Amino acid sequence: MMDFQTLFEQNIEIITIAVYGTAIALIVIGLYAVLMKKHLVKIVIGLSIMDAGIHLLFVAVGYISGGTAPIFSPGSENAATTMVDPVPQALVLTAIVIGFAVTALALSLVIRLYKHHHTANIDQLNSLKW
Amino acid sequence: MVITPVHYIVAPLIAAFAIPLLTKIHKDAARIVPGIVLFYNVVISFFLMNHIAEHGMISETLAGWEAPWGINLVVTPFTGFLATMVSILGFIIWLYGYRFKRTLKGGEVKFYEILQMMMIAGSIGIIITGDIFNMFVFIEIVGISAFSLTAFYRSRDGAEAGFKYLLIGGFASAFLLLGILIIYTQTGTLNMAQIAERMPEVPQQMKIIALVFFLVALGIEAEMFPLNGWAPDAYSQAPSPTSATFAAVVSVAGVYALIRVVFTMFDVEGVNNYLMVMGFVTMLIAEIAAISQKNLKRMLAYSSIGQVGLILISFGIGSNLAVFGALFLMLNHSVIKSLLFMAGSYFIYNTDDKRITALNGIHKKLPIVSFFFALGSLAIIGFPPFSGFWSKFYILISAANEKYIFLIIGILLVTIIELTYYLRVVGRIYFAKEEEGEPASHRPSINALVAMSSLALFIIVIGVYPDLIMPHIQNAADALLDKTNYIQQILSVKN
Amino acid sequence: MLKKLIVFLLIATLGYTLAVTLSSIPIGKNRIGSIENPETVAAYYLDKSPNDLKVANTITAVVVNFRGFDTLGEVSVLFLAATGLASILYRKEEEEEEENIRHISHRLNLPSSSLVQTGAKILFPLIIVLGIYVFIHGHLTPGGGFQGGAIIATGFLLMLVSYKGFETNHKVMVWLESLAGLGFVGVGVFGLVKYGSFLQNTGWTGNLNDLISGGLIPLIYIFVGIKVATELTNILDILLNIKPRKK
Repeated sequence: MMDFQTLFEQNIEIITIAVYGTAIALIVIGLYAVLMKKHLVKIVIGLSIMDAGIHLLFVAVGYISGGTAPIFSPGSENAATTMVDPVPQALVLTAIVIGFAVTALALSLVIRLYKHHHTANIDQLNSLKW
Repeated sequence: MVITPVHYIVAPLIAAFAIPLLTKIHKDAARIVPGIVLFYNVVISFFLMNHIAEHGMISETLAGWEAPWGINLVVTPFTGFLATMVSILGFIIWLYGYRFKRTLKGGEVKFYEILQMMMIAGSIGIIITGDIFNMFVFIEIVGISAFSLTAFYRSRDGAEAGFKYLLIGGFASAFLLLGILIIYTQTGTLNMAQIAERMPEVPQQMKIIALVFFLVALGIEAEMFPLNGWAPDAYSQAPSPTSATFAAVVSVAGVYALIRVVFTMFDVEGVNNYLMVMGFVTMLIAEIAAISQKNLKRMLAYSSIGQVGLILISFGIGSNLAVFGALFLMLNHSVIKSLLFMAGSYFIYNTDDKRITALNGIHKKLPIVSFFFALGSLAIIGFPPFSGFWSKFYILISAANEKYIFLIIGILLVTIIELTYYLRVVGRIYFAKEEEGEPASHRPSINALVAMSSLALFIIVIGVYPDLIMPHIQNAADALLDKTNYIQQILSVKN
Repeated sequence: MLKKLIVFLLIATLGYTLAVTLSSIPIGKNRIGSIENPETVAAYYLDKSPNDLKVANTITAVVVNFRGFDTLGEVSVLFLAATGLASILYRKEEEEEEENIRHISHRLNLPSSSLVQTGAKILFPLIIVLGIYVFIHGHLTPGGGFQGGAIIATGFLLMLVSYKGFETNHKVMVWLESLAGLGFVGVGVFGLVKYGSFLQNTGWTGNLNDLISGGLIPLIYIFVGIKVATELTNILDILLNIKPRKK
């Protein structure tokens, strides 16, 4: 029975590619949706996907091989050396909440735009020049 | 010390959280409380400026953890100067907007006041914070308020401008997060002074990629080319006091963030040239776009972008004199552009038409406002004896000292362009034949007049006696360029 | 076509840059350094959180205390988003009538089945209790004010979609929202007045892993929890009902 740390270290290349690949893919897909999709709600979803990719990256770089969650449970008061980096996780918490706020505001604007134009297609919203 | 920099943020926050309750007690509370808070910010500014003149810069620790462990708020002559400027203008804009708010309904006043006040408080936060992630949070506070205020009138175009601004703002925050991520993995800290201290150890490639992310993100906030497409729409759709705030407060905070990151955090060669080139392109394109505008507020918005371009150019030149000129221009731009937006919005208010052609002969209806607009136009072009002359003068001298001939030619060319489109508007106001003889329906109220005349007074007084303000700007420029001192002072506790 | 090409190039550049950058940031590598002689903030936090603050969950210590000012900013971002949302979707009375006719289908008009309604009724109190549990134990277990607040808001969301006529008590909401925000700032000001540093924790911190430990940190997280719960519920309420807030 192998423990998680050895498993991680043996397969570090696959894990790196999987985790970073997923994060980059999410960022790129989100960017694509924002730039190319016509439907306003899809654009907002794209923004959220992009944020999700970045949040995944934050958590990934904070991981330390063999580390546990940075919570001191009874009996492990001196386990600080085997813990993962707590700072990126705290930053992600902040970033998620901010991302949520932006998404909520974006959706309210979509509702507004829909009421005025009776469409959510971005090509038909061109009363202002870019 | 009784007053600390954190009051800048805490007072508006208390007010923002309390306003929904206070409006239940008195219906005018939503309008008056922000005024008190913004005035208190002016008091804090003067107190802190006095304090740092005597005792040197302040680095306030929060939650009891010394920098670099906790978040710190830094007031140097540079940040103090900008914070003072922003809080004074914030108060003047509140004063100007007091009448404007009477035209809104009860529930809306509350929302408007909270958003407007937090936008100014967030800008001050960007300026005084010493922590890069904290700066991100404040940028988002400013952003969320700005998106909402852009769409505040709930018109068709307003919602569209707001959505566009929000999308570009979303990019900015995503790129900023990526930049912070790279920097954090390389230095293990988020304090800007400590990042700057550890920057020489970071591999060159990482440094450049992180810098690019920061430049894209903060370039959006600072209205730098090519990602400034949101600015003209947002400026023209927002309520008028908010347009003035965008020009006078938010763009200052954006430029500050860019300069702080580029000058203090990074030590990459050649980024100065990048700033100079991008500033030049920004300025040229914006000023040329301004000529063809038919909408007054859009024209003023493009002119603002042009001014920001000039500010970036002179930061890019990088000599002490150039930075001095850039800060002087930041001050002038904020003051003059607020005055122009304030006066311009009274034209729009009266004619109910945003187009420039509607201004024919309006000086007979609104003589005082027309005078202020003409004064602001002359000042921003750089006619002596107005304050705008001195900033352009020093920037030209610094460009000449460094032998950037093409910059001098460019700036002079742009001045001619500015001359054309501003004088065209002023000419319409004063010399074109008016269409109808109806008296003005909305004359400026006392508070708006006080706000506009204090700005006009500043423009004239500083134009005649620039020595009144120049020592402060010189201190600010010295503080910005003295990076070693900044790092040492903040990290001194640790060593 | 040209736009597609530009977008493709842009995306490819970003993806390539990120891939190159990340390839030199190995995953799983210890970047914290020694805990005893902290060079990085992470090491310092891992050292101080259990020993000085007596907070078992280091992330809570970072979020609420070390970087508490960020959290205050974050709470105000949420507050501003709710305010902005209300201002954007707020309607004048004359508009309302016309829009009600046009957008009659805005809310789900069919009543949900009695299965859903009964289920929601049973789940709702449990969800609220779970949310409260999560934010009260924020300094001991994974979770905290934001997570707990979000859980509570999902409870309200369940009720809002299951019952057509369900309405939150706006008066209570406004009071809770404001008082929780003021409570957070108030704790900060207490630190400023008493110890000279905004948000500073009290000297008394109790024992690690006790429910009442960590000084003011659990109190702040309770305020954050209430604030987030009311704020999110407000946002959901506005988005689902699209009505002006009750005055």
